[in-house]
Amino acid sequence: MANDCTTVGKSVPRIDAAEKVTGAVQYVDDLQFGPSLLWGKLLHSPHAHALIKSINASRALALPGVKAVVSGKDTPKPIGLYLKDRTIFPVDRVRFVGEPVAGVVATSEEIAEQALSLIEVKYELLPAVYDPYEAAQPGAPLLHPDLGKYEVVNFIFPEPGTNISEHFKLRKGNVEAAWPQCSAIIEDIYSLPQIQHVPIEPHVAVARWDKDGQVTLWAASQSPFAQRDLIAQSLDIPHGNLRVIAPYVGGGFGGKAGISIEANVVVMARAVKGTPVKVRMTREEEFLNTNVRQSLFGRYKIGVDKEGNLLAMEVAYYFGGGGYNEYGTNIARAAGYSCTGPYDCSNVKGDSHCVYTNTQIGSAMRGFGMPEIHWGLEQIMDRLADQIGMDRVEFRKRNCVRTGDTIVTGMKMPNIDLVKCIDLVARGIGWGKKEAATGLNKCRGKGIAIMWKAPAMPPNPGSSAIIRFNEDATANVFVGGQEIGQGSFTVMAQIAAETLGIPYESIRMTVNPVDTRYSPYEWQTVASRLTWSMGNAVKAAAEDARFKILDTVAKYWKEDIKDLDIKDGVVVSYKSEREQPLKKMVVYGLPNENFEGWQGGPIVGSGKFMPTYVTNLDAETGQGTRAVVHYTVGAQAVDLEVDTETGVIEVLKIVSAYDVGKAINPDLVLTQIEGGAVHGMSSAFEGYIYNDKGLMINHSLVDYKIAASMDAPRKIQGEIVESAVEDGPFGARGVGEHVMVQTAPAMANALADALGIRINRLPLSAEKVYLAMLEKGIVK
Amino acid sequence: MQPFDYYKPKDFEEAFHLMNMPGKTVYPYAGGTDFIPMSRDGFWKCDAVVDVKALPGLREIKETPDGLFVGAAIRMNEIANSDLVKSHWDVLAQGAGSVGSEQIRNRATLGGNLCTASPCADTPPALYVLNATVIIRNAQGERKVAIADFFKWVRQTAVQNGDIVVGVVIPRPAAGAFGSYVKLSRRKGSDLSLVSVAALTFPNGKAANWRLALGAVAPTPIRTPAAEAILEESSDEAHIELAAKSAADTSKPISDVRASETYRKLMVANMTKRAVRMTLSRREKGG
Amino acid sequence: MLHEITFTVNDEPVTLAVKSHHTLLRVLREQLGLTGTKIGCENGECGACTILMDGEPVNGCMVLAVEADGHKIETVENLNKSGELHPLQKAFVEKNAIQCGFCTPGMLMMAKGYLARNPHPAEDEVRQAIVGNLCRCTGYIRIVDAILDAAKEVA
Repeated sequence: MANDCTTVGKSVPRIDAAEKVTGAVQYVDDLQFGPSLLWGKLLHSPHAHALIKSINASRALALPGVKAVVSGKDTPKPIGLYLKDRTIFPVDRVRFVGEPVAGVVATSEEIAEQALSLIEVKYELLPAVYDPYEAAQPGAPLLHPDLGKYEVVNFIFPEPGTNISEHFKLRKGNVEAAWPQCSAIIEDIYSLPQIQHVPIEPHVAVARWDKDGQVTLWAASQSPFAQRDLIAQSLDIPHGNLRVIAPYVGGGFGGKAGISIEANVVVMARAVKGTPVKVRMTREEEFLNTNVRQSLFGRYKIGVDKEGNLLAMEVAYYFGGGGYNEYGTNIARAAGYSCTGPYDCSNVKGDSHCVYTNTQIGSAMRGFGMPEIHWGLEQIMDRLADQIGMDRVEFRKRNCVRTGDTIVTGMKMPNIDLVKCIDLVARGIGWGKKEAATGLNKCRGKGIAIMWKAPAMPPNPGSSAIIRFNEDATANVFVGGQEIGQGSFTVMAQIAAETLGIPYESIRMTVNPVDTRYSPYEWQTVASRLTWSMGNAVKAAAEDARFKILDTVAKYWKEDIKDLDIKDGVVVSYKSEREQPLKKMVVYGLPNENFEGWQGGPIVGSGKFMPTYVTNLDAETGQGTRAVVHYTVGAQAVDLEVDTETGVIEVLKIVSAYDVGKAINPDLVLTQIEGGAVHGMSSAFEGYIYNDKGLMINHSLVDYKIAASMDAPRKIQGEIVESAVEDGPFGARGVGEHVMVQTAPAMANALADALGIRINRLPLSAEKVYLAMLEKGIVK
Repeated sequence: MQPFDYYKPKDFEEAFHLMNMPGKTVYPYAGGTDFIPMSRDGFWKCDAVVDVKALPGLREIKETPDGLFVGAAIRMNEIANSDLVKSHWDVLAQGAGSVGSEQIRNRATLGGNLCTASPCADTPPALYVLNATVIIRNAQGERKVAIADFFKWVRQTAVQNGDIVVGVVIPRPAAGAFGSYVKLSRRKGSDLSLVSVAALTFPNGKAANWRLALGAVAPTPIRTPAAEAILEESSDEAHIELAAKSAADTSKPISDVRASETYRKLMVANMTKRAVRMTLSRREKGG
Repeated sequence: MLHEITFTVNDEPVTLAVKSHHTLLRVLREQLGLTGTKIGCENGECGACTILMDGEPVNGCMVLAVEADGHKIETVENLNKSGELHPLQKAFVEKNAIQCGFCTPGMLMMAKGYLARNPHPAEDEVRQAIVGNLCRCTGYIRIVDAILDAAKEVA
């Protein structure tokens, strides 16, 4: 099949390109709501941890133009994806600086802003805790004394009476028995601070609560269906009455997954029924109030024998989940069942914790726990290789997972080729060859790191798709997944065209905006799952439509359907060599001989996909038949140099190789690889900085720097490996997140190669590098 | 952003009338690149702004008998790309060219860069080594303030309520002068200085005079007389090392969200070396 | 305070009343419906609102609307006014230099303004020119390539 493809496997142009380059695309903020539109602003907690004693909004309400003020008393019912540990506005306690405490609705943004200062909130301060390891210790200030009472899904294990919202345990073999057989053991701590997604489009939401009970939410969202579900449950709205409309997203990276301000805006709209209310987060609010990537404190102990075989791994991860862990618990779980990284090891003891801390809510971000754990894992692998005198690339090839391996959870590894990825990046970077530095006072080095990641989600997230034909044989494809820049609509169009046997140009993606009233269900646009899961649904819908077309023609020709095919928009018979164009017949059907009745009718195909084969894992050992659907694996190599006068790192080249199963659109895979490499590089320099009161102090793009054009490497070389996965469309699996997972440790490894310096805590700031050089006597 | 009024007077009389409206806080307004974010965030509050861009002379850039005059409303890119500025005052062009992004440099003005008095501003160190004078006017008349007396503290200057900065006058350096502006920031472009160094050397008989100014490492830009004296003895590598150390000793950086005091001090030394070497190399190449 | 201003937007004369404290970005989007210019940070840091003012790239969020009086403003909507894509737009499409698209209008306007000043830029110069335009998706390399490609076309 794959060899015969006409559209799949081709780098067709992006389907959304023209509307994006002309500025015609409408994001949420561009939608027009007329002069009746009201503006909302959120009041943020100035305290990291405090009880709310009272909220007095009377002065704010007296300000002309103010229409309503809402707060926790309006939102008593909990909300949350995996663990219902929060309310839409906090009822009696705030848990981080920046948490929205109340919402003001007014006739203008200025008035709403002015009203914020008139709301009087009385707080009683509580001791706060910021570090995840400290927060997990007995005696730490408790953020959620009622943890034991929260509703939780059956695969998340909170520990009531502590700040631990999830504790995933993995026990395989016997690490204690293995340590004595190791000829090298490294024990160390690696950690990293929170970082932010920083999509260029800030969070924006508009909501209208009609007087008849119909509720509409327009949101910059990766998760319109999940938001509908969560908000409907929390506010007792029948699902059918809540409509979430989500146009193109101006960058997500996980930051617009799950829920952040959207529920707050719906509550604000409820207070002014019939009138739309808009909240647009400022960039500062983005940093202070929207979700972040969790911090991590990771303790590692890893041992190898003298031949370089991994014998035992003991890891303990403490994710700083922030004030609420309703989504973040599943990050710790994912880090738990993938705790070894892409390595085959018989003796593993893993403990992965999600821990409440008085910081921003830790939630989904590109990589979902994997960049965090690979930061330490991949540096230790280098150090182990060094200790036993083995080449770092050879060491990885010896120990990395292979197809059919029984991996850490007991699951058989589906088809992958990580060794090939490693070989490709080693060759691409010129492994083993020392390059000359580009100038005086520069030291150059190379590093490699490998990764794995499975789509992290509940066992059964569903996708669905509908395909409808038009008179001219163009087809409208309806899906509910989102285009957040990754190219999902283009890839869906390719899968549909290929399966239907019609040209790519004949597909009309009928998605923008995703509208929960009209779009087929899609769980969320997360976990790099669309190409795979939504792709499967689109393929199923296309097969359904194709069958209906062929069935009609077979009856019309009185031939066996098995002899028919659709090629380039024409039904052909391999037996009779007859041809029937799709035009008209896909709507009007075909007449019987002498017009004695008709066959067929308007063609509509529908399809769904839901993984039905993922099993639960044992709560004490993390063992089970199938922990996840599959893994995507990859390798990255970095060539960088350090300015020894300043400590500034300049990344010169990155080579990335990922096993994507099948590249539906190779150039779009490369755009993910390139963008992800720069995102990964940028992430190595980013980090939240807090003062001693828990306020994030670099809350602007002035002081939270993301990579700009001059920081991007000169060259990024992408390599695509294709080992078809059994459960993906045309063998494809996702790659959107993976491309940034191991960039930071690859850079750290290159830094070690250049200077012999190891940095255990991100970010890799120039200052940190310089001070490390000073300490090591490299500079005076 | 909370509301304020906007005026754009065409002459000074009208401007001073507006600046002195009783009971009102009035800010002079030029490029807006500091004013808009500061007032959006509520740090600066005013009833009105007086746009100075139409005032006579403020958009002029010309050579006068006293040296180069650069009007307060001249924009960073206009300085950075000016052949006149580059002809003898290149170090100022370098400073202006390192401000923010292309978009910001198309709006931000010299007057604004001076009046907001951010310690990490990029044109003041250059103006220090060039011995610039700031011209200030108010309803009572005009006064001239040496650049070293202009900056008082972080975000504090010699500018009083009702004053408008008209521009700066920069004496023409001696023939054979060369200067460099070196800036260390977290990101390669469009970022603030962690440490900056302006260096200028010009011949004095057979010897050479040196001026060094540091940015972002004290409440105001500072000159480093001791380091300058060392370089005036000799600019060989040993002396450069000594001067760099001396400059670091002179600096008084703080620890903040961008860098620690320790790192900044170390970088003062290294950036001083870089600025001096770059200046020497310019002198050798003659441009 | 309201000001009546007259200026040119995408080659059309416009007269309208604007408030003193409203930025040009806000007026373009809210009063003129030109939503191609994006709000990313309102702090002059991200470049998503880059427009041309008398041909020079500026951040729409860093200009008061009243300051546009008498000036010539150009937004992304002007690029393909003739119906045909501008060479820059074509190059962005061909190079797949677009992902989420949110930075794209600002990037295009920055590039247009820059190429007018420097029609034959080197790669480094383009990287420097767009340093005030943040993109979180693409990694910039394709954007730089697209601008270099378009430069050949425009020149």
